[in-house]
Amino acid sequence: MKIVPGAVCEAGTSRANKTGGWRTFKPVYDYDKCIKCKLCELLCPDSAVKPREDGYFEFDYDFCKGCGICANECPKTAITMELEEK
Amino acid sequence: MKEIRIHGRGGQGSVTAAELLAVAAFADNKFSQAFPAFGVERRGAPVQAFTRIGDVPIRLRSQVYEPDYVIVQDPTLLEVVEVANGLKDDGILIINSDFDPETFKIDTKARIMTVNATKIALDIIGRPIVNTVLLGAFAGATGEVKPESIMEAVKERFPGKVGERNAEAVMEAYKMMRDQK
Repeated sequence: MKIVPGAVCEAGTSRANKTGGWRTFKPVYDYDKCIKCKLCELLCPDSAVKPREDGYFEFDYDFCKGCGICANECPKTAITMELEEK
Repeated sequence: MKEIRIHGRGGQGSVTAAELLAVAAFADNKFSQAFPAFGVERRGAPVQAFTRIGDVPIRLRSQVYEPDYVIVQDPTLLEVVEVANGLKDDGILIINSDFDPETFKIDTKARIMTVNATKIALDIIGRPIVNTVLLGAFAGATGEVKPESIMEAVKERFPGKVGERNAEAVMEAYKMMRDQK
């Protein structure tokens, strides 16, 4: 990336910094329990919950830091946090 | 003089671990020092911390470039950092991981040892904070410090129940590594 003095670098560079490695627990999603309320997508601080075309969601494990907010807020406990093997 | 390098992520307690190790060595009547390598680190970024332990006063103040021992707090760091850089051939590399040492392809002649510190921390402390656990593992693997000294240092730093639990985890990891040796 080239930076010109007085200018700012291009947008969206945090995409290159994959933060998924920080995780201790990973969210696991039970599609049968999900009611598509979108809370997990709205509350995810890393935008790591991606909507799918069918209205359900999936996790972007490249960026999920395993904070557990989605699992904590899910009204149907469709998301559980499981210890990640590493 | 023995030199130790700790690799971790910002917020995992690498700096605290280095300090506790130095305090424990001091309690063993040795000379010691500990300091971190500060850059632009924020939470989650790879960080390093160093400890030196010696029988005579240590005058060296540089960073540790050729460590006798390396501690890795998070196995995902192996993809980001060359943890074995400068590690002596007769040294020991301790990694926090579920897997066997053989599964790691690291360019070093030093001995690789693993300990599932995350599991020990979750079982005993209740939180996935592994720095004190890895110090216990270090004591068991290397014999450079007494586990009791680490437990004392931990209890002094974290008074009350937190310290008690951490000290218990230190002992657990110590026993595990001593038996592996």
